[in-house]
Amino acid sequence: MSPFFDPVDVVVVGAGMGGGAFCARLSERAKHLRIVCLERGGWVDTAAMPPWRRDWQRATINEWAGSPNLRLKAPTPSPSADYPIDDSGSPFKPLMWSGVGGSTVNWAAHFPRLHPSDFKTRTLDGVAEDWPFGYADLEPYYDLNDAAMGVSGLAGDPAYPPKPPRAMPPLALGRLGMTAARGFDALGWHWWPVDAAINSVPHQGRAACNYCGPCQQGCVNRAKASVDLTYWPRAIANGVELRPHCIVQQVVIEAGRATAVVYRDADGREVTQPASAVVVAGNGIGTARLLLASGLASPALGRNLMFHPAAYARGMFKAELDGPVGPIGCALYSHEFYETDEHRGFKRGVHLQVTRENIPLMQALRLEPAWGRDAHRLLREEFRHSIAILVLAEDLPEAHNRVALTDRTEADGLPGVKVEYTLSENSRRSLDFGLDRAEEVLRAAGAHRVVRLPLAPLTGWHLLSTARMGRDPATSVTDASGRCHAVPNLLVADGSLFPTVGAVNPASTIGALALKIADDLAKDIA
Amino acid sequence: MTPEFLAAVIDTLLPREDKAPPGATPLPSGTQGGLDPGAYSQAHRSIFEAIDADAFVRADEAVRTAILQAIERVLPDAFRSLLVAVLSDYYESAAVLAAIGWRAEPPQPTGHAMAAIDEATRESLQQVARRERLWR
Repeated sequence: MSPFFDPVDVVVVGAGMGGGAFCARLSERAKHLRIVCLERGGWVDTAAMPPWRRDWQRATINEWAGSPNLRLKAPTPSPSADYPIDDSGSPFKPLMWSGVGGSTVNWAAHFPRLHPSDFKTRTLDGVAEDWPFGYADLEPYYDLNDAAMGVSGLAGDPAYPPKPPRAMPPLALGRLGMTAARGFDALGWHWWPVDAAINSVPHQGRAACNYCGPCQQGCVNRAKASVDLTYWPRAIANGVELRPHCIVQQVVIEAGRATAVVYRDADGREVTQPASAVVVAGNGIGTARLLLASGLASPALGRNLMFHPAAYARGMFKAELDGPVGPIGCALYSHEFYETDEHRGFKRGVHLQVTRENIPLMQALRLEPAWGRDAHRLLREEFRHSIAILVLAEDLPEAHNRVALTDRTEADGLPGVKVEYTLSENSRRSLDFGLDRAEEVLRAAGAHRVVRLPLAPLTGWHLLSTARMGRDPATSVTDASGRCHAVPNLLVADGSLFPTVGAVNPASTIGALALKIADDLAKDIA
Repeated sequence: MTPEFLAAVIDTLLPREDKAPPGATPLPSGTQGGLDPGAYSQAHRSIFEAIDADAFVRADEAVRTAILQAIERVLPDAFRSLLVAVLSDYYESAAVLAAIGWRAEPPQPTGHAMAAIDEATRESLQQVARRERLWR
């Protein structure tokens, strides 16, 4: 018989962007509730992050790789509490972090919002589904989320409805950013400094970014916002009990109600935690895995997986640029081609994001050839002389793209998980269009040679839509408040909820949505 | 596996650069950069054992390169594994980083300097801000 804790009001599974924002907000709105959060990983020690060390570069392909599969093979144990993912059926490889803070620990902190049109793609463009609410409904939560995380940026962007003044000025563009801006200017195309959840000046008790470079190895000076630094101190101060190193095995569902979760604690004991409501926030793979393993009856569960298909164009310049310094994903972006234009031959649009140079080892490893004299020549051409533009396209929901369980039982006690994903023709056309535009910009900025990566496999950070919101239980998993149609006191509060995904990074929307879900639950309970 | 053979393999993967750009020093070979060829012999044994060591040592660089290209085709995963190990060490070498104009010290605690926005870019941004709205 497993140990039994006293019942609590709400159990939250996962302490990342969704779970952290949800706990902080619910604990403020309903102070009487007893809230417990179970997180499979632990806190990350900034002193142990690689950027202090001389061997920091190799950590990027080992214990601090973005892919849990790579981390599990690393010679040094990773601080992330990973599980393997069978990604052989997908051109994009899932990337994440499992620990307090979730993937905000090793994210790039590029922090855009969705556009208003992203909430009504069926109405405007005849594709996918509208969200059950609009941008205006989520806008107050975007503002709250921005304030909680701390955003550097610049108001006045014509690509978005007006936003409040950003808390901090934009991060430095550097030579790289200003060179790219000249390319956009020459073509008369939109560009704007990114909204970044990174301090450009000291803010909220955390230091300013010193442009060290490897954001995806964690931020040792805490300039980059991550949920362990922002929402969690608030939530814990409000009385939320965070239990790290607790791997939830099952949500117990009885007679159409969630009654408890069963988890494996840090000592390996199986523990039962009864609760009046259960909220799952384990990202688009972890949430689907747990709910499938728990037997939630919902035909759309695990379906409609979306990533944001990604490709790169990289331009080589004679002029010396910055090299691998500054926040990798946070220079500037263009939404010149974000909205649908039927003449392009595809629906929806693309996000063009000027990124910073990879570290020397990563550059060297992806060269072709990667060894011999030609490799030296190619590295010389690229290092400190290149600009890469990331093209993000908008996936459209397709039921065959999915997360499913395997026949294996993994070391964490849960069934194995696999992803099955095929790039659609619409996405391929979007990426090709975006690559053409990216090459135009790079050449307009002075690039003498441009190389393309038509599909970038290691970009699968955005794990979305596998428990999407909607009105029809046959095609969606939850209602507009994140409540599962089949089990109303079982909620989802992460990117799994997105009916559509736009073409921008989702963390800003995940946080805003989790705050809204918390408010909706607080109203239900009150 | 003799030290001479192991060094020949490593230095074929990472030869000394013939000519550096103006103002730069040539990239050193793998062994000149401080790599210890013996450190790879056990973990990547399948690659070294697939090569006729004596013939490899006697061969010129073009032939050595052709031999390694053939091995790469036949044993792609094992070859990649060796390459990842060798490049990981090479790009940690202070001599190599200096040759590409980069510092050996890690990113922290000093970070890096970044150029602030210049006046011309600031003006162009103001023009962008004056555009009609792009969103729907």
